[in-house]
Amino acid sequence: MHDQEEEVVIGSLSVLGAGLAFGLGGIGAALGIGMIGSKTIESMARQPEMAGRLQTTMFIALGMTEAIGLLGFVLAFVLQGVK
Amino acid sequence: MSAPTVTVAEQAAADPLTHGIEKLVHELSVLPLKGEHLGIAESYSPGHFTLTNYTFWMLIAFALTVLFFVVASRKPKLVPSGIYNLAEAGVAFVRDSLCAEVMGPEGRKYFPFIGTVFFFVLFNNLLGNIPPALPGTGTLGTTFMWGLIVFTVYNGIGIKKNGLGRYIKSFIPSGTPLWLAPFIFVLELISHFLRPITLGIRLYANMYAGHIMLGVFAIFMGIAIEHVSATSFVVLPLSFVMQIVLRGFELFVAVLQAYIFAILTAVYINGALHASEH
Repeated sequence: MHDQEEEVVIGSLSVLGAGLAFGLGGIGAALGIGMIGSKTIESMARQPEMAGRLQTTMFIALGMTEAIGLLGFVLAFVLQGVK
Repeated sequence: MSAPTVTVAEQAAADPLTHGIEKLVHELSVLPLKGEHLGIAESYSPGHFTLTNYTFWMLIAFALTVLFFVVASRKPKLVPSGIYNLAEAGVAFVRDSLCAEVMGPEGRKYFPFIGTVFFFVLFNNLLGNIPPALPGTGTLGTTFMWGLIVFTVYNGIGIKKNGLGRYIKSFIPSGTPLWLAPFIFVLELISHFLRPITLGIRLYANMYAGHIMLGVFAIFMGIAIEHVSATSFVVLPLSFVMQIVLRGFELFVAVLQAYIFAILTAVYINGALHASEH
């Protein structure tokens, strides 16, 4: 009985941890992606002739920021496997 | 206590949503095509090749890529039309607005490698959007391997261009105080070794998360049809619309991720080429 209770507690805590890992990881990445997008639009409006190069740089920054958020996603799946 | 206790697993099995999601995750995991009862560890003993669901669809995507370009380039014309036009637009996009944009005119020299990466990832991602198919890039094994290939290639190019000593020396920017140099060197080394990992995880997680999202809304629809109640009339049309919207978004993500993978490869190669300049 005691072992079973422990299993339930660990299982539910790991699910909670997975949710927190993805949620909190997502906040940072979302803020970052929002900033990248807003600054790119601002720069494009100021200098439309630079739009092509700005877009390339934006996608590079977007990819790097996104990876951080997705680390939380992968971690969430790892944590769910904890029994 | 002698009262019959319900285990976590039994509770989960009773809940249709949890049951559906567990089945979905199982379907999206790497499974051997033959002998599904075998665990993945048993079917991957040394010297024993097993075709898994992901490798199967990856081979099909590979065949489609070859077929597409062979058919497209069969009759080169001065004024392109049809499938030839499509292939030429794709190739010109990678060469001019991807390689040349990041690396300058000399970037065209690296077009064969970056083009291979781009079209492999693109065809796999797109094939994953046709329902029975799985994206070959939706598993960590494939994407990590591509990350390692990119890692090897860009370091190889850097060493070939600058020489081993100068390439390693370039990890420390000129003008760094001597006491700070070891820390900078270690930091730079870590950032280099993180590159293949982030490349792999980004592509895998995007493909996997997209399929999980689509699957979850499909499960909602299934439950709404099976257990008809007042909420079914809200959930069913909403899930149906979400399916269409998400499918469109997935097509966009498939192209975007191929683009990001290829452009980061170009950026890493560019960094390795100009390592000794700063």
